[in-house]
Amino acid sequence: MRDERGKRDVFETVVFHTLLAHRAFLACRPLHNMNLNTDMTVNRITDEIWEIPISEKPGMLVPARIYATKGILQAMDSGVFDQVTNVACLPGIRRYALCMPDGHWGYGFPIGGVAAFDVQDGVISPGGVGYDINCGMRLIRTDLTLADVQPHLERLMTELFRKVPAGVGASGFVRLSGEEFGRVMTHGAKWCVERGYGWHRDLVRMEEGGCIEGTDPSSVTDHAIKRGINQLGTLGSGNHYLEVQVVSNERIFDPVTAAAFGITGNEQIVVMVHCGSRGFGHQVASDYLKVFEKSMRRYGITVQDQQLACAPFRSPEGQEYFSAMNCAANTAFANRQVITHQIREAFATVFGQSAESLGMELVYDVAHNIAKVERYPEGDLVVHRKGATRAFGPGSPELPEMFRQTGQPVICGGSMESGSYLLVGTDQAVRDTFGSTMHGAGRTMSRAQAKKTIRGAELQEQMKQRGILVKAVSMSGLAEEAGLAYKNISEVVESVDRAGITKKVAELRPIGNIKG
Amino acid sequence: MAWTFRFLEKIALADIGFEAEGESVEEVFRGATQAVLETMATPSTVSGGWERAIERSDLDPSALLFDWLSEVVYWKDAAGVVYREAPLTLTREGDVWLLRAHLIGAPVNQQTQELHADVKGVTKHLYELKQTGGRWKVRVVLDV
Repeated sequence: MRDERGKRDVFETVVFHTLLAHRAFLACRPLHNMNLNTDMTVNRITDEIWEIPISEKPGMLVPARIYATKGILQAMDSGVFDQVTNVACLPGIRRYALCMPDGHWGYGFPIGGVAAFDVQDGVISPGGVGYDINCGMRLIRTDLTLADVQPHLERLMTELFRKVPAGVGASGFVRLSGEEFGRVMTHGAKWCVERGYGWHRDLVRMEEGGCIEGTDPSSVTDHAIKRGINQLGTLGSGNHYLEVQVVSNERIFDPVTAAAFGITGNEQIVVMVHCGSRGFGHQVASDYLKVFEKSMRRYGITVQDQQLACAPFRSPEGQEYFSAMNCAANTAFANRQVITHQIREAFATVFGQSAESLGMELVYDVAHNIAKVERYPEGDLVVHRKGATRAFGPGSPELPEMFRQTGQPVICGGSMESGSYLLVGTDQAVRDTFGSTMHGAGRTMSRAQAKKTIRGAELQEQMKQRGILVKAVSMSGLAEEAGLAYKNISEVVESVDRAGITKKVAELRPIGNIKG
Repeated sequence: MAWTFRFLEKIALADIGFEAEGESVEEVFRGATQAVLETMATPSTVSGGWERAIERSDLDPSALLFDWLSEVVYWKDAAGVVYREAPLTLTREGDVWLLRAHLIGAPVNQQTQELHADVKGVTKHLYELKQTGGRWKVRVVLDV
């Protein structure tokens, strides 16, 4: 009897302690995960680097790494964790699947995603580039100051709004034959300069000189050409914009590098452009997603999200997409170049001086939706950047002479209310993140939520009161882009600065914005 | 009206997600089409004048709907138009689903039309057409 009671006591004690341990385990998981929007284990590597081990999802070939401060990591939506670990399952991936601090829920890759695949046994995926192929940023400096521009701001913004078509379905002023559009696909911004839309010296201040070599227009469908042939020189909508900004002395963090980039402060006016390859690039992505969906079965590839459809890089399908994607990338360089031409004309009209005499030189043009073959210690890799910017440091032989001492300019657009940043690439980025960094602030709120929170007309008036003049085609689109829908870009920039993968050069404050 | 749609607030933050449902596959096609039309412009502000007849068929209604919505997005850029309406019928002949539709709209006019988002593409992310509890539902994420 005693023995029986003793056994029962032991049994109850064991059950009790097991229950306690289980409760403690359950309680510890969120604590361990720092209240993140995921149940996955996320390990701290440094204060700005967090790693999800391969044990967290079946099929992961490499760990996933997220660059973020603790605060930014805690605010990241669940889609980021799910999607970056899906990317880590793709064939031929090397080192890590990465996500930058501006990362948020996208489709396929998270926005802010970076992944590199071996050219021999790896894949290429349109979901790692995005529909807007070579969506990117361009910054143009001027010799004008806020005092010069402020009295003419309304007229300037009206002129820019007239000269740079924006919004759904907008078409540009450049009329092209199919043959001529083919030259845009192969020559990119070079085609523009040949046609008088820009200056020869602009080209050296663009990633790839504004022209990716070796493209074959036969890889592009007629469907894609018809969709994009009339859109050269247009902004689009969504988060695309043209912004007039001011650089103050106190917001220059690295005066030497800033000066090398043509940024002198003293309330200097600069112009930022954010857009991509428009309908042409969108259709290239759509066309090849269908091709890859079919060919994946043949190559025995399975993916965690249909939007990660991919093909071996060396396969005929992979090579055709790479060529078509580069055709679209070249049209994006050309699109931003034609827009630059229009911006220069608008400034010349308003200020009664030539763009050259106003010092309207290009600072840089850089893509943030693209896949490129780059050389790393592992060999040649297909680096996918989706909402992430190339950030090569001073030692990079790919950079033109003028950036060999400084590193490559990196342009990061914030929300239209909060301002943007000019950064510079580092050798550490080349070592740690396949030469990649952030591209913008990153959303924290969906478009539907933002529209419920604020009305476009109300936001436009509020911004006017704060000295930011906004011209928008769509008031609902304007509400979707409210600053409250975005992360604090300064905190995002701090993450990459502290991690050493880019360094701050200057902050750019908006005074005028054009949105589609 | 035997279909509805609603925009989703907590998925794909930079894009636009919606869920459409109807009593039949045909009705869910109508609901999803209306959602895409309204994502780009307020249909009541768009006059007619531009029309295109479209006929597509597929064994899989899910693939057919995806292709059709992609076609709606395509013509927005190729013809530079937004839409007032897109009447459609969906029939089944044996195993084949046949869509007959008309896109009706007008060239983009920023002065007279209430314009919204420039849709880049219909994505396969979370895309799913399914029947639950006697109703058909589809979830779509549009890249904008």
